[in-house]
Amino acid sequence: MKTWQRSLLLVAGLLLVGTAAYAQLPDPKPHEFPVVGNRVAVWVVAQLHILFAAFILGAPIFVVVSEILGWKNGDARYERLAKEVIKVTVILYSMTALTGGLFTFVLLATYPQLSGWLITHFFDIFAIWYPLLFIAETIVLYLYWYTWDALQGPLKLRHIALGVLLNVIGTVTLFVIDGPTSFMNTPVKSAEGLDLRTFIETTATLWDKMNNFSWWPLNIHRLIGNVTFGGFIAGLIAAYMYLMSKTDEDRAFYDWFGFVGNMIGVGALLLLPFAGYLLAYELCDYDASICPYMMSDQLSMFFEMQGAMVGLIFLASNYYIWLSLKRVEGLEQVRMRTTTLVLMASIPLVFMLIWTKYPIPEPKAFILPVCWVAAFLFAGKFLKWTVPAQTLVKVAFMMVIIGNAIWMTPHAFVATQALAPDDGSLSLPHGELNLGFITVDWGMLALMPAKNAAAFTLVFVTICNYILYNRALRKGRILWGKIDFVSQFVLIFLAFSAIWTMGLMGEVRSLTRKYFHVFNLQYDFTPEAYTPTLAFSSWVITGVTLTFYIVVSFAIVLTLRVGKGKAHADAPKAVPAAAGGE
Amino acid sequence: MAGERSFIAILIKRLLLGGFAAVVLLILTRFVFHFPPVFQAMFVLYAGLGTVTFILLDAPAVSPFGGVKALVALVVFYAVLAGTFIAGANFLPQYDPMVEKGKIDKIVKPKLAATDKGKMDALLKRSVELNAQSQAIMKRLEALGGADKLKAAEGDKGGGGDAPKAAAGDLIGLGKEQYDLQECYNCHKIGGKGSVKKRGPTMDNIGNLMKPEEMKEKITNPRSWMAEGFEKEYNKKQMPDKYKELMTDQEIDVLVAYLASLKDASVETPKPIKK
Repeated sequence: MKTWQRSLLLVAGLLLVGTAAYAQLPDPKPHEFPVVGNRVAVWVVAQLHILFAAFILGAPIFVVVSEILGWKNGDARYERLAKEVIKVTVILYSMTALTGGLFTFVLLATYPQLSGWLITHFFDIFAIWYPLLFIAETIVLYLYWYTWDALQGPLKLRHIALGVLLNVIGTVTLFVIDGPTSFMNTPVKSAEGLDLRTFIETTATLWDKMNNFSWWPLNIHRLIGNVTFGGFIAGLIAAYMYLMSKTDEDRAFYDWFGFVGNMIGVGALLLLPFAGYLLAYELCDYDASICPYMMSDQLSMFFEMQGAMVGLIFLASNYYIWLSLKRVEGLEQVRMRTTTLVLMASIPLVFMLIWTKYPIPEPKAFILPVCWVAAFLFAGKFLKWTVPAQTLVKVAFMMVIIGNAIWMTPHAFVATQALAPDDGSLSLPHGELNLGFITVDWGMLALMPAKNAAAFTLVFVTICNYILYNRALRKGRILWGKIDFVSQFVLIFLAFSAIWTMGLMGEVRSLTRKYFHVFNLQYDFTPEAYTPTLAFSSWVITGVTLTFYIVVSFAIVLTLRVGKGKAHADAPKAVPAAAGGE
Repeated sequence: MAGERSFIAILIKRLLLGGFAAVVLLILTRFVFHFPPVFQAMFVLYAGLGTVTFILLDAPAVSPFGGVKALVALVVFYAVLAGTFIAGANFLPQYDPMVEKGKIDKIVKPKLAATDKGKMDALLKRSVELNAQSQAIMKRLEALGGADKLKAAEGDKGGGGDAPKAAAGDLIGLGKEQYDLQECYNCHKIGGKGSVKKRGPTMDNIGNLMKPEEMKEKITNPRSWMAEGFEKEYNKKQMPDKYKELMTDQEIDVLVAYLASLKDASVETPKPIKK
């Protein structure tokens, strides 16, 4: 039986058994999951499912873009890259179905009342739309894979169209299942003044429930997150294959593969802080009590950890660019404008002051930063002073560290603000400095304007480094396959850290429902309705990440190493290759 | 790039620079900004992170290796990553779930068991009735000029009048408990404790500014009143409109009783404006 047949059978089985299980409701007793308990069991299975699903939704976006680039540029490397990534995706598709099925069973068995309630309210989604989309995606994915060699040459456009269709279905599937997920965080309120329960139980339509407060922010956040994830996992695949390469040709190819994967991952990553901010903003706008719960109460140290992870990811991605730069011959000739360097160094302080004085979304909060950047770009046209590329990169690293320090500065080093000692021994003091147009208070380092300025700094610095890299490519010669071996561990680190952070923030989103299964609507009556500690969470998240890694590593080795004898596109021959002549 | 210089020389230079940065940061945070030790340590750690980063930037390239060596390196790398992330998360301050568990039990249990809820409701009702009765008796005594005698008698008996006091105290105590359970402190301040950001007004003198029925109106319908100087927060609908649905009448009543008892005129409390 082929993989696609197994997947279809699994989905059909799920539908049948799931419906039968639902028929056993409405008053079944919850089962106790052995050893770890019900909450951790659902947590682990759901998180694993989301990781696999994120990959099989993110990777095809990456693959189709790569296929299009290969087709347009006539570069065989893109074709090979796309084919190798989709090969791993096909294997992991079965794991997505398997963990999805497991998630359904565990949820039904351990939280039968909640499952029954959700099925009642989203019956059409769970019983019709989601299975249909999943089946459609299965069919198109396997069509896309099995017609790869057949639809070449003049038929290539048809194959690309299949890939685009696959992504459209995948994205719609994501949006559809985000409906119930986001509903659990922000169940739609009545515009006519009905109380929440009456409205949801009697008047609200399925569309009302889907189109809730956090649906679109979650859709956007997950879509961008999936592309990031796909890029970093592609980087991981490249790193593994580089480690196992025996020839210079293979090393050259997987070096380039890793670079492309990282570039896509980082490119999408630049948007993630803003998408995350939008989601958090909408959650707070829905119910202001969520905000302090996240930022100054039980989850405050989760965000401290997130700050550390984001800082490490940006440091690592910039370090990878640096290692990539080091193997470009002629880097010494590349110079950047001094104004860019000054602009980069000024951003954390200037933007923090602007956003403190004019908080987002006031118009000046957008106009002033744009004017500030434009002024430096304009000045750069006249002031011809330049600095070597290495100097700019080193200042950039300094700014990443400063940006991360600002991101991670809390009001107080306490698990919740309510526990902050009165003597201020663990709190950021309030020391004021009058600058004329604004009074600076050290306390502002812990506020959102400072965090936004820090996020913007990290993004700006990374963009500058990529601009510098492209300039170096135009002027010099790149030696594919000659990158520092450490870079492969940087790629592995990036994938591992991205997955870990995804697990952490997924937990945060879920925990913002507090002691409700559905916020303000369905109480969690189990003894596990409390917020777990960050320490405990870190064990679970690490366990899930390692499990995912073991499966993915197995899939990579199985498909790309063991099955290497099978035909694939030609490997690039040029080592070294002219950097500008790609 | 390192160029002709040896890595050892670069390493020493970076360590010296990193050490210098750490000392400068320590002096600034300790003697100029007067940050507490934990923040001083944080900034010194950043100097350490910067030092490691800048050493890595100029570290010599590692040549490729494969086979068992690569596999072992990979396993060790994963172990280090997993261990570092877990250690980092454990190093940060931890919230005690038992605190929240106690709160959740108090909120969720009455909702779960209707019988328990009924008992609690009855107790609360009885407490309110006793409080009303005690206040009525006090008023009658005051009208008869017996309040002073009663106070003297209480003094003589060492708390002989505890019953009515306890009832009123219980009510306020229950109200304070509701204030904590609903986490009102996240947006409001009482006695200097509470919200670190400007989300909602200070409540210390609210008992002198609003009548109990007006407070109840504000809690159940946040759009009905606005605190002076909180126009932006009012327009952003910062105060959730969920309490009418999530709290019982009795819970709101005891919360109002607690708020009505807050009459510290020395603390500036924004004036409520009827909308």
